[in-house]
Amino acid sequence: MALGELERDVMDRLWTAGRPLTVREVHEELATHRKIAYTTVMTVLDRLAKKKVVRQEREGRAFRYSPAATQEQMIAGLMLDALGGVSGQDDRQAALVHFVGGVSAAEAAALREALDAVTAAEAAGDTTGPT
Amino acid sequence: MTAVWFAALALLLAGPVPAALARARWTWQVPRAALVLWQSVALAAVLATLGAGLASLTLLFTEQPGFPFLARHGLLQTTLNGLTSFLVAVVTVRFWAVALLVGVRTRRRRNRHREMVDLLHRRESTGEVDRAVLGESGVRVLAGPGRAAYCVPGVRGNRVVLSDGVLQELTAQEVRAVLAHERAHLRARHDLVLEGFTALHAAFPRLVSSRSALDTVRLLVEMLADDAARRRAGSLPLARALVQLASAPGGDGEMAVGADAATRVRRLAQRPAGECGAGDRALPRRGLAVTVYAVAAVVLLAPTAAIALPWLLTSWDFLTR
Repeated sequence: MALGELERDVMDRLWTAGRPLTVREVHEELATHRKIAYTTVMTVLDRLAKKKVVRQEREGRAFRYSPAATQEQMIAGLMLDALGGVSGQDDRQAALVHFVGGVSAAEAAALREALDAVTAAEAAGDTTGPT
Repeated sequence: MTAVWFAALALLLAGPVPAALARARWTWQVPRAALVLWQSVALAAVLATLGAGLASLTLLFTEQPGFPFLARHGLLQTTLNGLTSFLVAVVTVRFWAVALLVGVRTRRRRNRHREMVDLLHRRESTGEVDRAVLGESGVRVLAGPGRAAYCVPGVRGNRVVLSDGVLQELTAQEVRAVLAHERAHLRARHDLVLEGFTALHAAFPRLVSSRSALDTVRLLVEMLADDAARRRAGSLPLARALVQLASAPGGDGEMAVGADAATRVRRLAQRPAGECGAGDRALPRRGLAVTVYAVAAVVLLAPTAAIALPWLLTSWDFLTR
């Protein structure tokens, strides 16, 4: 949990920096707000690199880290993954359970009709008590 | 003879039975019991298949040492038994291999997705609905215009994910209904049921009943979560949320599960919200549920008792003779 928050903070630094940062630079930034060990920052950056959300490039003896994509791009990618944009995969997996799928225009009309029926039923049943 | 009975039963449970069950509408009245029946039919089919294979195999080997089976029953019978055993072995191995693969892939994708959600979700609240939603544990909000409302099941931590698009379009009541619905999925581990039938379909994609089984089980699971949500948030907010989120503006409707949305909303109209209060309707429904549970038990236990037991006894008899 705490580690997740830390990963998030590190990502925020990398996103706002606009250039590749070394572990030392990220640590210096974070250390102004909280007590944190240099090795912890290193571990977090390593984890993020393993998750492929940051890029690691060697420069001399140090590594520099930059985000693999902008925050907007990553959110868009996540949303695409969530909405089954990776087509043909969903029938072979049961990874996410959605509230409801999308419908065509013709089905949308049927949907409205069905809603009217619920509204009517609810209005009729109002005397039986609160919902 | 045992092998023939088992094979016939397996074919029956893999073909006509699920086909009829997929067409049935009474299942919508008792989704929980219907889901138990579906699982029991699927499991019975798997067991019957296994039984057919084992019975054929024992016939080949338990008669007498040497080649007495061939001598007594002839080439045709021997070949038939051998073929059945082989076929069953192929089917069984295929199912379990695919089930394992589906399980691994599902968990990998889920873990990855949860990690990304935790990394990218919006932490600052901007409105009142927002504050209430962000305050709930396990709920994550994604910035961006898309409409996403789903849950990520898992033992390492569940997540209910909503997008800003959803929060902007729904009232607080409707959001409550969506959350209650997703929570019901997570609480009852509906994902495990879905995973089983997903594996079945992935292993035998060309078997028509595996497709309709998956579709039907998906719908029943949604209905079950709908029932939980309507008890907490009311039928109308739930129906409104369904309609609002299903009918996306613009060409968003490429997902072909939309027919289910209308079915679910229509069902919400049919049953009164406080279902405990509706005594005249609750009683027959309870009777139906009890009947379905009983049938599910019979489907699973009767073949074992009627076919497997005598066969086991003879096998045992032979071995200990």
